[in-house]
Amino acid sequence: MSIWQRLFRPEEGKADLDAEIEAHLAMAAADRRERGAGQEQANAEARREFGNVALVKEVTRGAWGGMWLERLAQDVRYALRQLRRSPGFAASVVGTLALGIGAATAMFTVVDHVLLANLPYAHPARLVKINEGAEMRLLVPYLDIAAWRERARSFEGIAFYGERKDHNYIEGRNATTQVKLTQVSGNLFPVLGVAPQLGPGLKDQPESFARRGETHTVVMNDVAWRSLFGADPVILGKVVRVDDEPYTVVGVMPRGFFFPSAYELPQLWTPIELDPKDQGRTFDAPRYTAVARLKYGVSLATAMAELQTIQKQVARAYTDPDDRKDRSQLSLESYGASLQDKSTTKALLTLTAAAGLLWLIACVNATNLLLARSTVRQREMAMRGALGASRGRLIQQLIVEGLLLSGMAAAFGTALAMGTIVLFSHLPQMARLPIETPATVNLHVLVVLAALTLASAIVSSAWPAFLAARSPIEPALRQGGQQSGVSRSQHRLRGGLVISEIAMSLALLAACGLLLRTLYALRHVPLGFRTDHILVANMAVPTYRFTALNAADEIYEPLLERVQHLPGVDAAGLMTQVPLGHTFTVMLGLADGPGAGITSQFKAVSPDLQRVFGFRMLAGRYFNAGDTAAAEPVVVVNRSFARAFAPKEQDMGKVIGMKLLSLSRDRENPTPTTIVGILDDFHQRAVGEPSQPEIEVSLPQVTRGSRFYDVLETVAMDLAVRTQRSPDEMVSSLGAALRKASPELADSNITTMDQIVEDSYGSQMLAARLLEIFAGSALLLCVAGLYGLLAYVVSQRTREMGVRFALGAQRGDVVWLVMRQAGSLVLTGIAAGTALAFVSDRLVRGYLFGVTAHDGWTLGAVAAVLIVSGALAAYLPARRAAGVNPVEALRAD
Amino acid sequence: MAKETYRNRIELLQGTLDLLILETLRWGAQHGYGISQAIRARSGEVLQVETGSLYPALHRLERQKWIVSQWRLTDQNQRAKFYDLTAEGREQLFRDRTKWEAMVQAIAGVLGPLPEPEA
Repeated sequence: MSIWQRLFRPEEGKADLDAEIEAHLAMAAADRRERGAGQEQANAEARREFGNVALVKEVTRGAWGGMWLERLAQDVRYALRQLRRSPGFAASVVGTLALGIGAATAMFTVVDHVLLANLPYAHPARLVKINEGAEMRLLVPYLDIAAWRERARSFEGIAFYGERKDHNYIEGRNATTQVKLTQVSGNLFPVLGVAPQLGPGLKDQPESFARRGETHTVVMNDVAWRSLFGADPVILGKVVRVDDEPYTVVGVMPRGFFFPSAYELPQLWTPIELDPKDQGRTFDAPRYTAVARLKYGVSLATAMAELQTIQKQVARAYTDPDDRKDRSQLSLESYGASLQDKSTTKALLTLTAAAGLLWLIACVNATNLLLARSTVRQREMAMRGALGASRGRLIQQLIVEGLLLSGMAAAFGTALAMGTIVLFSHLPQMARLPIETPATVNLHVLVVLAALTLASAIVSSAWPAFLAARSPIEPALRQGGQQSGVSRSQHRLRGGLVISEIAMSLALLAACGLLLRTLYALRHVPLGFRTDHILVANMAVPTYRFTALNAADEIYEPLLERVQHLPGVDAAGLMTQVPLGHTFTVMLGLADGPGAGITSQFKAVSPDLQRVFGFRMLAGRYFNAGDTAAAEPVVVVNRSFARAFAPKEQDMGKVIGMKLLSLSRDRENPTPTTIVGILDDFHQRAVGEPSQPEIEVSLPQVTRGSRFYDVLETVAMDLAVRTQRSPDEMVSSLGAALRKASPELADSNITTMDQIVEDSYGSQMLAARLLEIFAGSALLLCVAGLYGLLAYVVSQRTREMGVRFALGAQRGDVVWLVMRQAGSLVLTGIAAGTALAFVSDRLVRGYLFGVTAHDGWTLGAVAAVLIVSGALAAYLPARRAAGVNPVEALRAD
Repeated sequence: MAKETYRNRIELLQGTLDLLILETLRWGAQHGYGISQAIRARSGEVLQVETGSLYPALHRLERQKWIVSQWRLTDQNQRAKFYDLTAEGREQLFRDRTKWEAMVQAIAGVLGPLPEPEA
């Protein structure tokens, strides 16, 4: 008899056993008849000799094994019957737990996607990223990497790649498409432990640079192969055109592969060619990021210590004392960790803690509901105990009920979590979360879900089960009546649970309140520019084409002309990077002359930009149409920059006319620029960060001959347009104008300035949005918990209320009685919660802006919200208590 | 007579019931009632196997695949469930017997010869 049969065809085995025992009795009786006994007597004797038939069957079935399973199935059936009998109770427990499990699951799904994502490399845990410098991550010249390769013993191999910020294009079968291109060392793919699915891949030479003649080879990712070349099976050896140059295809990487970071669009890898400057450590030597594979069993710390020792000697080769100091330090981090944005990681962990708190609140609420239920079922439990059920068996049965409830809750919770994730990804962009997560339940999520379900069942039902099984049988059976009541200690326990719910909710609400105030403060920081009615196109600039022509007159000027004449456009301007944009920041450190030592943001702009953004001038003028390539070169600086020369506000004018850096490439005949205007400060990087010094140059003056042309005009350029109508209506006509200006510009990303500002709130926004949900749910749960407890207490005390009325109590007195009890619970909860909030404020402290972590107003407001909600929760039970009819109450049972 | 038998009955040592069942089945397939009668007869009416021990033991041995069962008719035309030894069961019986002999010898060695009852 297999366990399978036992579970699903129990009747068959039972019938077989019945027949076997029937046969035994028949044979025993037959023997006796043979020896001369009468029919009746023989049967009776056989039966007597056999003993207790039912008991024998029971113990025999026990020998089949899997008895526990049968009991379990029985418990499940019984639990289902119980739930069907009180659907309201079941729904509230399942709903409560589903909320908690759903929040935790949704949070974990995001964390899993963002932080625990599997890298598509062999043994990714052994991959590390090496940078020089301690605080600043500095890229590394080849000679240093060569020195590590020669001396370090901790690594199986060290590869490197060059970061490229420009835009690259590949000619596919049908169209030219933007691709991400990374230049990598020949040994990169072997170090990552991934071989191409097609072809040999890049050649790996000893120094891992490409030999002459091999530089124009390319490996593409699976997406590029499929979408651009129709998964051509004989693509190897074919020539494709990248940035208008011929490259021979030598490999296609497997599906899902990416490097250096997650990327789902066409991606290419080409080898790095050895540059003569790679043999030196001068400022213009090419710099790389090193990726290494640790030898098996070597820890990060060991490798770090070894490399640090080597680096001490390597750094001596730098002639510049600052370089020598900076580069004597190293940073080594796991490659997986290096891909994660630190602030997002922190925000996610904080929010996971918040979701955990919400889950705990939900469990406490469920415990409270189950405790109330177990009081109602006291008699049932006592009856089962009296009939011989052991304590263990009773606890098992209650735990099974708990598991069933939390299992159902897990199903609903998962649906809730995935639904929420899907919902968030379909919200209009303004309200969307800054993190995209697919709503899929993978193995990690399933494991966590199972753990949550089990933990929820244990946390919420273990205590009520234990209490129910421990309570003495006899008094419960004797008292009988509905008003038998429960012990004082149980009342206190349930009160304590409600208090803890209120306290935890307060901590969540306080965190939420602080973040909402932060967002409010951030939104009210004067930005220094207007954000309304502005459309920004972050242009996909085809670098390879623009370096070959003078983009300012050949592309940008006609583009501006075209856009300015679009219907509904007030003004249009260009800027290397708009404020708060995070596309391409150029930093300029002035080495000599006035302003030496100041590091500034450096941008090329077109004159009309001021009309788009409404920048305020403190002194002088902004650029105008006269600042052409032929005119005298001019710059505009901001207040932060000017302050170095004129600390006092009224001296700003003195800065006008000062000479600054030269734009020309000719070092012999510098043509210094003149400062013609001072802008008021505006926030460039983040609303919460102070302004940095800024130097702006006029776009037409940065010609192809200028030494800043490549960096200011051919890598990134933002087009900002002031519109008369809602900017959203202009998106398609602006896109069309861009496409007409240059076909590659069709890939440009168009958004509103309001959205850019909103996006810049990043983790604060994420934290605030989710905390609103968590704290709101927590508030709902603790109100429900308080209401549940009071409603129960009132129903238990109907007779007492009746007596009070009979003795002359007024309705008001009884209402007051209930409200007072609620009040003491809420106030104790608030006191405990305030203490908790003080301890847990560390979690949100890093996100606050314009508000302190112990903000009295926030705490006060949160406490007020809780008091009002508590009063509402208490009002209904109080009114019911006041409505008790004394005669009926006293007559009842 | 019945009382006498009862007094002489010995509690079965733990684990020996399996041995007795397997030994009984060595002589051929038998049903539960037959097994209990055989053990009683061959022990000189001393060992009476309780049904509450016999049937769980039979079902357990079947789960361990030492015996197999089959419904058949007895000589008296009674349908009954017959148990039979498997090859594994035979090996198990041999092991159990060897252990049992060793145990009996060991215990006998410790106890020594039965002392003469004092007159």
